[in-house]
Amino acid sequence: MLLEKARARERTRRRSPLPYGLLMPAAALLGLVLGYPLVRLVVISLQDYGLRSLFTGKTGFAGGDNYAAVLADPQLLPVLARTIGFCAALVAGTLVIASGVALLLQRLGRRMRTAVTLCLIAAWALPNVASTLVWQWLFQPGYGVVNWLLTRLGLGDLTQHDWTTSPASAFTLVWLLVVWQSVPFAALTLHAGLSQIPRSYYEAAALDGAGPWRVHRTITVPFLQPILGLVTILSVIWDFTVFNQIWILTQGGPDGGTTTLGIWTFTRAFSRNDFGQGAAIAVVSVALLVGLTAVYVRRLVRSGEDL
Amino acid sequence: MIRRFGRNAIATVFCLVWIFPVYWMVLTAFKPTGKILQPTPEFLPVDVTLDNFAGALAKPGFLQDLLNSVVVVFAVVVLSTVVAFLAATALTRLEFFGRRSFLVGVLVLQMVPVPALVIPLFLSLKSAHLLDTLPGLVLTYVALVLPFTIWTLRGFLHGIPVELEEAAMLDGATRGRIMRSVLLPLVLPGLIATSVFAFITAWNDFLFAYVIMKDSSGYTLPVWLVSFSTSTGTDYGGLIAASTLFALPVVVFFALVQRHLVEGMTAGAVKG
Repeated sequence: MLLEKARARERTRRRSPLPYGLLMPAAALLGLVLGYPLVRLVVISLQDYGLRSLFTGKTGFAGGDNYAAVLADPQLLPVLARTIGFCAALVAGTLVIASGVALLLQRLGRRMRTAVTLCLIAAWALPNVASTLVWQWLFQPGYGVVNWLLTRLGLGDLTQHDWTTSPASAFTLVWLLVVWQSVPFAALTLHAGLSQIPRSYYEAAALDGAGPWRVHRTITVPFLQPILGLVTILSVIWDFTVFNQIWILTQGGPDGGTTTLGIWTFTRAFSRNDFGQGAAIAVVSVALLVGLTAVYVRRLVRSGEDL
Repeated sequence: MIRRFGRNAIATVFCLVWIFPVYWMVLTAFKPTGKILQPTPEFLPVDVTLDNFAGALAKPGFLQDLLNSVVVVFAVVVLSTVVAFLAATALTRLEFFGRRSFLVGVLVLQMVPVPALVIPLFLSLKSAHLLDTLPGLVLTYVALVLPFTIWTLRGFLHGIPVELEEAAMLDGATRGRIMRSVLLPLVLPGLIATSVFAFITAWNDFLFAYVIMKDSSGYTLPVWLVSFSTSTGTDYGGLIAASTLFALPVVVFFALVQRHLVEGMTAGAVKG
């Protein structure tokens, strides 16, 4: 009781500059390097920021011109469709495989479980530039081991097949890479979630004579829902913004066939030097992503109430 | 019995498929050039050589860019850890106006898709004359890892009972002394986890280094690797050996703190 009161007094007394002093460096860095650029992104998207502005530092106000240009661009619809479709394929692939692995992990013996966990961690830990270069080598036309295997499996002579020459096979290449790298986080997180479900629930269900499917539906799935939701949202965010893997493997080609919103923003800004339009595309992508994850963001802000 | 056998069989196949790219990377790195470029690949390490590693180390720019990476990563780890520790202490130990909004702000910033920031960051660093400089890159990375670092350290500090500090205070310790002698040792595991996260982010990043560092003398390793891969064409031995060297420290560190990474990334939703 006394301690409580003492603490309360302490708190009211602490109207000191100390907390602000401690927060200052973090606030300054976050504000200058993340907050300010976010605002500036919107500002640039309203300016005719081109090569000239880059050198003179002078820009004119363009109003909605950049947005109008982007909306009228015949590339817009294909890029949007590609981005959303590819993101959906990645999220679906990741979640299906990861759920399977998580459920499998629950039912394995200790040794086998350790082996699977180690494989997952190895794939997860590999820096994505390194794994992308390894992918290039695995699928290399001529000496790539995957082409050799496929040829061996009797799919015809694929040894010289170049995966980046058609959009469909280039996307397959990137899909395999991203899913390979995303499954570990999802699987291990889901596994952690599954391990938290109290054993007694399953025992009670078994006593009541519930079959495995019934148990899965009435215990596992509801308990896992929050974690599954989280993993889905994070996958959507990450897969929507995949850049390195596509850029290094295909640079958005062939002929723009693997250009997603991220790649489009980048080439518009840095290859064409049209920073205004690039920023407009980035703003549109952020808005889209916020829309896709709105439910989660709302819960996040609301959870701030009891921080 | 049959069920169990089936599960183990599925798990084995999964392991083989998932580990194969890593295995193939390491195997290729140790193969002599003649064995790398042959129509029928060899799946077991028959001839082992270090030639590829020696070749990679001797490539122009490798050592210089390795040094850049090390300098940048070191600065990022130290700066981000200190800044986040101070902030997390304020957030968990002091009650003040704006605390909650700061926390929500941090969570929101963590959600921002990073690639969207490339354009404005590039232009802002340009006007600040920090483009093509290592400090510019360091500042960028520190800000990128801060939301995660602050959030994770906050979780660790929450777990330490306030009574310890109160006892120290009764014994007449100053605030600085309490931070140093009571909080710091207890929060060490958290500091290690966040340092590793900062290390991995800064070490792995390709996009920002690619945009910010235009002069090849300022490249970090990932940019060097990618430029190497487009310029050489067929020296896969060297490229893969260099990738292996690049990946090695990350894999080691990663294995050490993997558990905290899962917790940190899921922190927001499971509520800290």
